[in-house]
Amino acid sequence: MIHVILIVFIMTLFYLSIANRMLTYVKVLALQGVLLFFVAFMQLSEINTLNLVLILLETVVFKAIAVPVFLSYILKRNNITREAEPFLPNFVSLIITTAIVVATILLSNSIQDTHLDKMFFVVALSTLFTGLYFIASRRKIITHVMGYMVIENGVFVLSMAVGNEMPMMVNLGVMLDIFASVLILGIFLNKIGDVFKDVDVDQLTNLKDY
Amino acid sequence: MLSLVLTVIAALFFTGIVIRTKSLASGRKGPGIMQPIKDVIRLFKKGAVYSKTSSFVFQIAPTIYLASIVMAMLVVPFGQSKGLLSFSCDFIFFAYVLALGKFFSIISAMDTGSSFEGMGASREALYSMFAEPAFFILMGSFALLTGYTSFQEIFAALHIGSYISYALAVLATFVLIMVAMIENSRMPIDDPKTHLELTMVHEVMILDNSGFDLGLILTGGYLKFAIYGALIFNLFIGIIDYQYAIPLFFIVQFLMAVIVGLIESFMARFRMNHNAQFIVALTSVSLLIFFGALLMLGKFN
Repeated sequence: MIHVILIVFIMTLFYLSIANRMLTYVKVLALQGVLLFFVAFMQLSEINTLNLVLILLETVVFKAIAVPVFLSYILKRNNITREAEPFLPNFVSLIITTAIVVATILLSNSIQDTHLDKMFFVVALSTLFTGLYFIASRRKIITHVMGYMVIENGVFVLSMAVGNEMPMMVNLGVMLDIFASVLILGIFLNKIGDVFKDVDVDQLTNLKDY
Repeated sequence: MLSLVLTVIAALFFTGIVIRTKSLASGRKGPGIMQPIKDVIRLFKKGAVYSKTSSFVFQIAPTIYLASIVMAMLVVPFGQSKGLLSFSCDFIFFAYVLALGKFFSIISAMDTGSSFEGMGASREALYSMFAEPAFFILMGSFALLTGYTSFQEIFAALHIGSYISYALAVLATFVLIMVAMIENSRMPIDDPKTHLELTMVHEVMILDNSGFDLGLILTGGYLKFAIYGALIFNLFIGIIDYQYAIPLFFIVQFLMAVIVGLIESFMARFRMNHNAQFIVALTSVSLLIFFGALLMLGKFN
């Protein structure tokens, strides 16, 4: 069952790479949170109940509800345009995402290590690289934040593979990461949005001496 | 033999059910279930008109198109009974005999010399080209999973048991339905009801065909839908007795017709430049099926 959810998780990455509205990105991030909730619920069977509840609450409350609501609030508040406006066409994004997934699968297939859960490894690594790719290929700061959230999800999946052995540390780190990044960048975006009415980093290239 | 008869019977009703679903969803009563068949019969009674600029290619193309679809229909199995033809690697035959028919419909569209038809032909070729890897990776991973290479053996050996195989079956159904929609030029890719030549894909290719030829092409379209419905049915059924399999076949075809009708009622057509990426996404999904099959075989992990 965990494998099924992880396959759906990879499919959300494909969907994210061809989505062209900001709200779709937010919805996919929320969906990823829900999927991570189920993965955590099934995978982390050996840790104590209180810790499990904490992790599950973290996935549902932060990843699935708080962050998407906050992001959509920022979208509305700052009058950010509804299209994602990537540098590359979505078609190229899709091919690159597929190439990333295939490459990570080939990579993990060449690693001979019995301790490694390859399914988690593949999903985590491809999510990480896809998130990096989103950051590199999208134009707006808010999309960079979303790419960062995708990377966080990848780290969470990777930590889940070893979650039964060392539970507390990894999860607290992830939670703190999410909280800090969204809070800081949210406030940051609010100010930027109020002052410039536009958060398009592409316009910074127009700065020059006359 | 059985699959041939059943597919033809299903094809009689399929398009009628799609049209009825669409009209019910938009609050109309709609034409009768047999109306598409009546249209085809009316067309068969007519002669055909050929433009002076077109050559013999334009005249033979509809016949070859229908013949290729009938050939493809011969290899489709029904549960444990084979299709009329069954040999190893017949899924490759299936895909390429359909491609042959498509090739002839494309060059006949080019033959008319109309600029609109050339545009439609170019789009159709592009979309078919993108849909091909999705189909082959899907069938190839099933061949890998079962160890057989013909349709009948693959479908007979396919067991749905563990969770991951359920996921693979759902993904495969999704890919097959979408490939069927692309091959038939239906809604998310192409709108069969559009009235503007610039936005047509398949309809613009057959603008110059009339009378008997148009009837052949329409018949081919009806059969194609039923063929893909039969493939999806085979994916799920495996080996069960005929008295259950035959009603189930019609139920699956009916459900697929209703699903197609609902998709066409409630979805807008994609923008032309979004189609290509949507079709390539199908290939990505097929790749996931391939790696899922590797996972089930234990080749990986």
